[in-house]
Amino acid sequence: MPADSYAVAITVGSTIRARRAEQQSGTQHPTIRGSLAAQGNRIDDTTLIREAQQGNRAAFEVLVRHYDQSVLRLALHLTGSETDAQDIYQEAFLKAYKNLGSFRFECSFYTWIYRIVTNLCLDHLRKRNVRKEDAPVAVDNSGEEYSVIEQFADARAGANPERDLMRRELGSKIGAALERLTPRERMVFELKHYHGLKLRTVGEMLHTTEETAKNTLFRATQKLRTALAEMR
Amino acid sequence: MKCDWVQQNILFYVYNELEDDARYEVEQHLARCPQCTNELKATRKFHATMSHAPVSEPAPNLLAASRMRLQEALETTSQGGWWRRLIFEPTTWLRQVRMSPALAAAIFVVGFGGGIGATYNYLGSRQFGDQLAVTDRTTTPNPIEASAITGIRSITQDPESNQVSIKYDTVSTQEAQGSLDDQRIQQLLLFAARNNYNSGVRMDSVDLLTQQPNDIRVREALMYALQNDSNPGVRLKALDGLSGFIRQDPTVRDAVLRALISDASQGVRLQALRMVEPMKVDSNVRAVLARLAQSDQNPSIRSQAKTMLAEVPEMD
Repeated sequence: MPADSYAVAITVGSTIRARRAEQQSGTQHPTIRGSLAAQGNRIDDTTLIREAQQGNRAAFEVLVRHYDQSVLRLALHLTGSETDAQDIYQEAFLKAYKNLGSFRFECSFYTWIYRIVTNLCLDHLRKRNVRKEDAPVAVDNSGEEYSVIEQFADARAGANPERDLMRRELGSKIGAALERLTPRERMVFELKHYHGLKLRTVGEMLHTTEETAKNTLFRATQKLRTALAEMR
Repeated sequence: MKCDWVQQNILFYVYNELEDDARYEVEQHLARCPQCTNELKATRKFHATMSHAPVSEPAPNLLAASRMRLQEALETTSQGGWWRRLIFEPTTWLRQVRMSPALAAAIFVVGFGGGIGATYNYLGSRQFGDQLAVTDRTTTPNPIEASAITGIRSITQDPESNQVSIKYDTVSTQEAQGSLDDQRIQQLLLFAARNNYNSGVRMDSVDLLTQQPNDIRVREALMYALQNDSNPGVRLKALDGLSGFIRQDPTVRDAVLRALISDASQGVRLQALRMVEPMKVDSNVRAVLARLAQSDQNPSIRSQAKTMLAEVPEMD
């Protein structure tokens, strides 16, 4: 079959033909993946989702690429650990893959996947809270433990060692302040302040209202300001 | 007293979460109130301090490693269980399962939410073979004889009797006749709307389905056609069929809004715009209209959206 029969927007007819080819050959048809990935403009999520729901794994992988960098960014900044971030990434997209059938387009895929990621992050934060007596510790990729609050130390090494020290201290203050928040408060603050999401979206992701998200943000910032003032 | 309200909202002002009217009020107040201005400064300082822990992009090799790990896991993961069988895949089904034309027609409807129970019911029920009276071109003596539906050839409706006549192919061409209320006719119509390569046939089936939109499966088929059919004429027909439900059913409303935002055909978009017009007080509709009025590429849509918004009463 000519390659460009797959390169057009997926219509019903060619979808069935494409799937048939995939199943008959027993492997993923390379043309689908190639043309799906190489198309100049992004393929509509809707098309990809419907394809993925029919079992087209290549479509799911393209769909993942639309979002996975920002998912990893969120998990990394929130947990401060590359290992934890990777775990959250893995769990989130596997969960999405398994549950794609129940996605009924009642919200955008973006909201849907972020809902999954947010909940996994909340679980992570809750587990971490349980061990609050110990200083929060994480393990990096080489197996070394490091203090999580150091994650916020600005990594830029300047020419001025005193300034570097101040920056590191500020970083640890920020980390310590954030530790005072409840997991939900931490999550709302993270999504709003560090990732710029609208509170309405944050509410949707946490299965609550915009109003609740607003109140949570307010409480979180009060706590943070108090904490920072105390540390001065 | 005003200061209380402003101080409550300074945080949201700094985070750009206020509606335009509230933002205006805050700015007006800040121009006159030194106390609140101090609070604004303090809040901005807090914002700057917290921004000291910037979000960095994940290292490329971390991203690559994560992707590879995911890919490996996907190879061994199967997509969830029961719902897969409900997805409408008649051609592959028919390849795999040898069954009588009656059973084949019955199974197609499973994709619209019949549920696993229904599937097994249909499969188990022997009587079904007898119910479908087929006018067979070649002599198929026995419904149990293997054959499969490979496509719908044509759909016509007799204007006088309203009887629907559908020609569908199995190994030989079969024909089913009946009224629109006839279950087998409905099943074949649903099949045709989704799966026929001939847009004319899809058009006919969607047209007839619009006469029966109370059935939730029909509504879903119409929404599917609106979203996915490659032919704009078919999409327009589907839109017409959904018009009665836009008020009562939020999923229909959302499907129409999606078509309004992103359909490839201007005709479809304009029709969708006309359809949401009576609902312009709905906040979801208004949000879409606002976006269109501001930034849509199409001048006709932009101006119509602007006009509609202008007609909406003032916010409280």
